[in-house]
Amino acid sequence: MTEVVATNQTILVVGGGISGMTAAIEAAETGKQVVLVEKRPYLGGRVSQLHKYFPKLCHPTCGLEINQRRTKMNPNLTILTMAEVTGLSGDAGNYSATVKISPRYVNENCTACGDCGKAVSSEFPNEFDYGLSKRKGAYLPNTMAHPMRYVVDPAILGSDEAQKAKDACKYNAIDLDMKEEEISIPCGAVVWATGWKPYDAARIQPYGYDRFPNVVTNVEFERMADPNGPTGGKIVRPSDGKEAKNVAFIQCAGSRDRNHLYHCSRICCMATLKQCHYVTDAYSDANVSVYYIDIRAIDRFEDFYAAVKAKSNVGFIKSKVASVTQDKDGNPVLHGVNTEGYQRYANTHDLVVLAVGMEPSVEAGSFPVDILINREGFIEPAPENGGVFAAGTASDALDVNRSVQHATGAALRAIQVVNRVAGTEG
Amino acid sequence: MSDLNQNMIEKYRNSFLKEVEANVEEGEWVKMCMQCGVCSGSCPLGKHWAHPPQEIFMMIRAGKREAVLASDAMWMCTSCYNCIVRCPREVPITHIMHGLAHYAKRLGLAPKGQPTMAFSQIFWDNMLKAGRVNELKLGLSLYFKDGFVQGVKNSLANAKLGQNMMKAKRMNAAEFFGGHGVKDVSGLQKMIKKAQELEDARIAKYGN
Amino acid sequence: MSAEKKLVGYVCTGCGIGDRLDAKQLLSTAKREGKLQECKQHDMLCNAEGVKLIADDIAAGATHIMIAACSRRAKVEAFHFPDAAMTRANLREGVIWVRPASGENSETTQEMADDYIRMACAELRTINKPSSSGEQSLIKNILVVGGGVTGMTAALEAAAAGYAVTLVEKSGALGGHAALLHKRVPSRAASAGTSNSRNAALPQPAENNVPELVSRVGTTGNISVHLNSSVAKTSGAPGRFSVDIAAESGSTSTGEFGAIIQASGFKPYDAGQLSEFAYGASPDVVTNLELEGLAKAAGDGPIKRPSDGKEVKSVAFIQCAGQRSDTQGHLPYCSGFCCTTSIKQAIYFKDQNPGCDTTILFDDLRTPGAAGEDFYRAGQQKMVTFSKGKATEVVPGSSLKVRFQDLILNEATEMECDLVVLATGMVANSGPDPYAPADAAQVPVASILNLQYRQGTDLPHLKHGFTDSHFICFPYETRRTGIYAAGPLRRPMDMQQAMDDAAGAAMKAIQAVENAGLGRAAHPRSGDLSFPSFRKEGCTQCKRCTVECPFGAINEDEKGYPLYNESRCRRCGTCMGACPVRVISFENYSVESVNQQIKNCNVPDEFQEKPRILVFACENDAYPALDQAAMSGKEITPWARVIPVRCLGSISLSWITDSLNSGYDGVVLMGCRRDDDYQCHFVKGSAMAAERMSKVGDTLSSLNLEPERVVLHEVAITDVERAPKLINDMADTVARIGQSPFKF
Repeated sequence: MTEVVATNQTILVVGGGISGMTAAIEAAETGKQVVLVEKRPYLGGRVSQLHKYFPKLCHPTCGLEINQRRTKMNPNLTILTMAEVTGLSGDAGNYSATVKISPRYVNENCTACGDCGKAVSSEFPNEFDYGLSKRKGAYLPNTMAHPMRYVVDPAILGSDEAQKAKDACKYNAIDLDMKEEEISIPCGAVVWATGWKPYDAARIQPYGYDRFPNVVTNVEFERMADPNGPTGGKIVRPSDGKEAKNVAFIQCAGSRDRNHLYHCSRICCMATLKQCHYVTDAYSDANVSVYYIDIRAIDRFEDFYAAVKAKSNVGFIKSKVASVTQDKDGNPVLHGVNTEGYQRYANTHDLVVLAVGMEPSVEAGSFPVDILINREGFIEPAPENGGVFAAGTASDALDVNRSVQHATGAALRAIQVVNRVAGTEG
Repeated sequence: MSDLNQNMIEKYRNSFLKEVEANVEEGEWVKMCMQCGVCSGSCPLGKHWAHPPQEIFMMIRAGKREAVLASDAMWMCTSCYNCIVRCPREVPITHIMHGLAHYAKRLGLAPKGQPTMAFSQIFWDNMLKAGRVNELKLGLSLYFKDGFVQGVKNSLANAKLGQNMMKAKRMNAAEFFGGHGVKDVSGLQKMIKKAQELEDARIAKYGN
Repeated sequence: MSAEKKLVGYVCTGCGIGDRLDAKQLLSTAKREGKLQECKQHDMLCNAEGVKLIADDIAAGATHIMIAACSRRAKVEAFHFPDAAMTRANLREGVIWVRPASGENSETTQEMADDYIRMACAELRTINKPSSSGEQSLIKNILVVGGGVTGMTAALEAAAAGYAVTLVEKSGALGGHAALLHKRVPSRAASAGTSNSRNAALPQPAENNVPELVSRVGTTGNISVHLNSSVAKTSGAPGRFSVDIAAESGSTSTGEFGAIIQASGFKPYDAGQLSEFAYGASPDVVTNLELEGLAKAAGDGPIKRPSDGKEVKSVAFIQCAGQRSDTQGHLPYCSGFCCTTSIKQAIYFKDQNPGCDTTILFDDLRTPGAAGEDFYRAGQQKMVTFSKGKATEVVPGSSLKVRFQDLILNEATEMECDLVVLATGMVANSGPDPYAPADAAQVPVASILNLQYRQGTDLPHLKHGFTDSHFICFPYETRRTGIYAAGPLRRPMDMQQAMDDAAGAAMKAIQAVENAGLGRAAHPRSGDLSFPSFRKEGCTQCKRCTVECPFGAINEDEKGYPLYNESRCRRCGTCMGACPVRVISFENYSVESVNQQIKNCNVPDEFQEKPRILVFACENDAYPALDQAAMSGKEITPWARVIPVRCLGSISLSWITDSLNSGYDGVVLMGCRRDDDYQCHFVKGSAMAAERMSKVGDTLSSLNLEPERVVLHEVAITDVERAPKLINDMADTVARIGQSPFKF
C-alpha cells in the first residue's frame, strides 16, 4: 500500500507538467509539505514532448533537468505517478483528496537497466511520440523520464511477455501482482494543474487529417523535429519519407472558431514561427508558407516574428484555409482565398502542419472538484473555488513562460491557506 | 426607386454599414466578420464571383456602397450554405448575400440583365399567379426571356430534358392551360400585396 | 570539521557492472590508491538493503562516502545522505554502457572504471560536507517598490501569507496608471453554459477595482505604506537587505528586509513623437491613456472631444501607434494590452451611443486566450468596426481625416472622424542597466533601487529596457538574487497579467527570505549550502572575481578584498574559475578537488599508446546528454575521463595547463550556448569560460603543443549523438597529431 504522510498543512498539486512541477517545487523549497500527483508514469507533461521552446529555441529538457534535480533533492516533496485525483471533499484548510493509483508493475528496485525491455517483443504505439513510433510492452517512457523507472503495459499482463519481462529483471523490480489502489490524502490547499491536450485535428473535417498522411499536427511535428523522435529529427513526409521542404502551416486549426474551440490558443502562432525555423534550419532550399488570420506574437515575441518574417523563404498568407485535398502524388493541396488582395489559391505542398490549439485536458463536467469553469472549460479564479487554485493551462491557453509565472503565483495562494491553518493551529 | 436610393444615400451619408444593418436581411451580422476568408475559400462558385463574400463585407465596412450594390457577386450565391457552416463566427453569409441582392434590386442598383435576377423575377411572377410554381411556364418564360428566336433555340436545345421530365411526371403539358394552384389565389395575392405595402412604408419612412 | 574523517567506499555490482568489471580490483583500487579506510561491495546498492548499509556506516561514524555505481544523476533519492560528504564514480553510464562488451575491450574498460574510482576517491579526500556560513539571518519583512496594481497586489499577496510588507511609492497616492482607468477589460471569458450563438451574452468592460485594492492595502495590518518616497540606498543581501527610504519631505528611514520586489511599472510611450498622427497638433488626437480620462470625466454621459466639447459621434483607434516598428523613436515590440484596451474603449462609445461610429484600424488583432477572444466578439457584437489597415497620417481639422492603407482591399483610403485615439504602448520604468555597453547612447535614467553593489545600482535589462528573466522555465530568476521584478517592468502586460505576475514575484520573495534564513542557495542550485570562501593571504586584490560574478554578488571591502555575500551567491563557481591565484573554493568544490581528480587518474606512458582525454562537462546540460547517450548505447572512446563541473565558468585555467603538463593528450570542454540566446544557467559562466579559453592558445604554444588539443564546444542537453562524437573526435585528433610529448 502506498503511504503518504500528509496533513491539512500539506499542499496537494494535481498534475506534474511544467506548471504542476513549478508550483510543487516552489512551495516545497519554501518549506511546505507537498504531494504531487501525476497521471502519466513520469513528470514533465507535454513540455517533455517538445523539441524546442520559443523564443530562445532552447530545449525543454534543459529546464526539466534542473526541475528534476530540484525534486530529487527536496525531502518536502512526495511524488505519485500514474495517479489521479478522483474526488475532493472538505473546505479550504481541511480537504481530503481521493487518489487512484494505477499499477506500474515495476517497483522502486528498478535501476532502468533496460533488461525487461530487451526481453519482450510485443510493441505498442508510443504515446510519447503521439503514436508515430512504437514502444515495447515494458518500456521507459523517455530518456529523461523522472522517475527513471520502467513501466509494464497492462496489455501484456497475463501473457508470456509479462513473465519474460519479470524473468529478465535481476533486481526483483517487476511485480505483476500490483493492484490499483485508492488512497485518501489530507491537504489544506490544492493547486490544480492538469494542463491541456491538443485539439482533435480529425474533427476539422475539411483539412483531411484523418485521410491524408501528409497532414500532421504541430505537436506531432515537434516529435518529428526531435533527434530522439520517430524520424530521428528528420523533417520528412509520413507517406513516403521524402524530405519535406515545402511546408505549409495552417493557423487557428480548431481555435477561434465556434465549430471547434472558441478561444485563441495563444501559443500556436509562436509555435509555428518556431517550427518555421525547424524547416529552414533543416533545408537551405526550404519554402515555408504560413496561412493565418492574425499573427499573435505578443509583447517581446514581436522580435521573433520579425526575424522569421525577414527570412526570404518563409511567406505569410492572410487566409483561413478552406480545405485540403490530395493530388495523385500524395501532395496536400491547400485551397482558399488570400484575403489581402483576394487571390484564390490552390497551393501544393510537401507537408501540411495544422497548428492545433489547446483545450483543457479535463473535460468540462468531469472535474472531480467543485470549481468554477468558463465556457471553454478553463478554471476561472473565483472565491467560490475555496482552497483550490488553478495553475498554468488549466486556467487559460498559456505558453510555458506564462504557465510557470501563473503556477508560481498559484503556489503562493496555496501557501497562504496552509499558513493560515498553521497560524490558527499553532 | 432611384428616389429611394437617393434618400438612403442622404440618410446613411457616412455609414454604408449602418444602412446594411438597417435594411438588409441579417445585415447586422456583417459586423461579426473576423476577416479570415474561409467563406470565400469554401464557396463552390467562388471563382466566378467578382467579389467573394468576405470582400463584400470589407467593402461594406469601407463604405463602398455603389461597388457593392451594383456588383453581381451576391447574385452568384446558390444557397449551398457551406460558408455559414464554416464561418468561425456564425455569420449568416448566405442570408446576407440574398438580402444584399434584394436590397440592391429594390434600390434599382442591381446590374441590368443579371440572369439570376431575371430568373428570380420570372419565378416570383410565375408563383404569384396561382400560388404554385408552374414548371412549364417557368421554363418557357426563362427560355424566351431574350426574344422569340433565342427562345426557340433554347427550347430545342433542352427538348430532351423536357421530354424526360414529362416522362418522369415532373412536368405536365396540360399545365400550359392554366395549371395547378392554391385554393384561394386572390387571398394569397391580397396577402402579398399587403406585405409589400408594409415593407414599402417601412423603407419610405427610413428613406425620408 | 572537528571530528576525525572516515572515508568509506561502496562498489555496486548491479546493472551489469559486476559482469563487465572486476569488482575485486575496483575495491582494491579504492582502498590502496583511493586511500579509503574501507570499501564494500554490494550487488544492488540502491535497494533498501544497500542504502541501509551506507546509512548504518554513516551512523557509525563514516564522514565521507564514495559510491561507485551509476551516474550521479541516477538514484539521487536513494543515495541521499545529507550527513556525509559524498562523491560518485560513474561506472554504469560512464563506463560499461558506453563501451562494447567484447573481450578485447575489457582491459581498457576496466582501466576506465579504475580511473573513475581513483578520481572519486581523490575528490572525496579534498571535500567536506558543506554547512551554511552562519552569516544568514531571517528577516521576514518584504520591501515592495512601486504602488501601482502590481506593487499593491504583491504587497497584499505577501501579507496574506503572513509576511510584513513595506510599500514604497514615489507619488502621493497608490494606484499608478491603472487608477486612471474608467473601466477595465474583463478578466473572465464567457461563463459555462453560455450558448454558442453569435448573440450570446459575453463579458463586458468591468468596474475598475483599483480603488478597492487601494483601500485593502490601507486596511491590511502588516502593510506599511510610504508615499512620496523612494529608495535612496540598498545594501546587504537576501535575508538582510538594509534599505534607506527617503521621503520627499527630506526625512529618511532605514529598514531591514529579507527580499525585494521591484514593481516600478511603466511609463506611457511619449506620443509627442507621433507627429504623423497630429498628436500635439490637434487636441482631438489623444492616447489610449488620455481617453480613459475623457471617459472618466464624461461619467455616464457622452464622451466629449477636447477641442470644442462636442459629443464624439465618430472615433478611430489607431493600433500599434509607435509600436511594432523599427522607425527611430518607435517601440520595436508589441505592448500586448492595447488591442483589448481599444475594444474596451470603443465599447465606451457604443454603450453611450450605439450610433457612434467606432473604427479600430489594426494589423494583427491580438486578443489571446479565452477571455481575449470573447472580448473581441463582444466588441463585434457592439458594432465596432475592425478594419485591417495601416494608418499613415492624421490630418487635423474640425473633422479629423485619417489616411490609411486598407490591407484587405489593398488600397490607400481615408476616413473622417471627430476623435482619434492612438493605441500607444508601454515603456519599462527600469533603472539604468548595469551592463549597458559603454558606447550606447542612453538617455540617463535615475536609479530605482540604488543598490550598493559592485556591478551597478539596478536590475540588469534583458531587452528594450525590460528586466525580464532570460529563462523560459524560470521567469523570475533575475541576476540579482532576492530581488524580483514584477509587472510591466518585466515585459509589457495587461492588468490581469500584472496581478498574476505580482503573486508569482511575492512567492519568490517569500522563498528567498526563507532560504536566506537557512543559508540555502537560490535557483538553480537550490538548497546548496556550500558557498565560496577565499584564502585572504593569497589574494592579490585583482578584483576579477568581483567583476566576473554573473550575479553581481561580490562586493569589495575598502582594501579591495572580495566580500562574497553568500546569500546573493548562486554557487556557480565562476569566481573560482576567474581567480588567477586559485584562492577561492567551496567546501565541496574547489580547484584542488578537481586537480586531485586530474592527478589521480592514471596516465600511461607513451609506449602503451593509451591516450588520455580530459572532458569537462557542464553538470546541467552536457553531462545529462552523455548520460542519455549511454542509455541509448552510444560509444565513447576508452581514453576519455569525464569530470562534471557546476558551470564552465568555474573552470580554472590551471586544470588545463596542469593536465597537459602531466601528459593528457587532449582537453574537451562542453558548456552551454553563450550568445544572446544563451542557455547557461549562470548567465555568463559559459561566456566567461570561452573568453578565458581564447587565451589558452598562448599557453599551448609556450608548451609547444598543438592548439587543437584543447577544444571548447557548446553542447545542449539534447546533443545525445553529438556529445559523444565530440569526445571521439578528440581521440581522432590525438591519433592524427600524436600523443602528448609530456608523458612520463
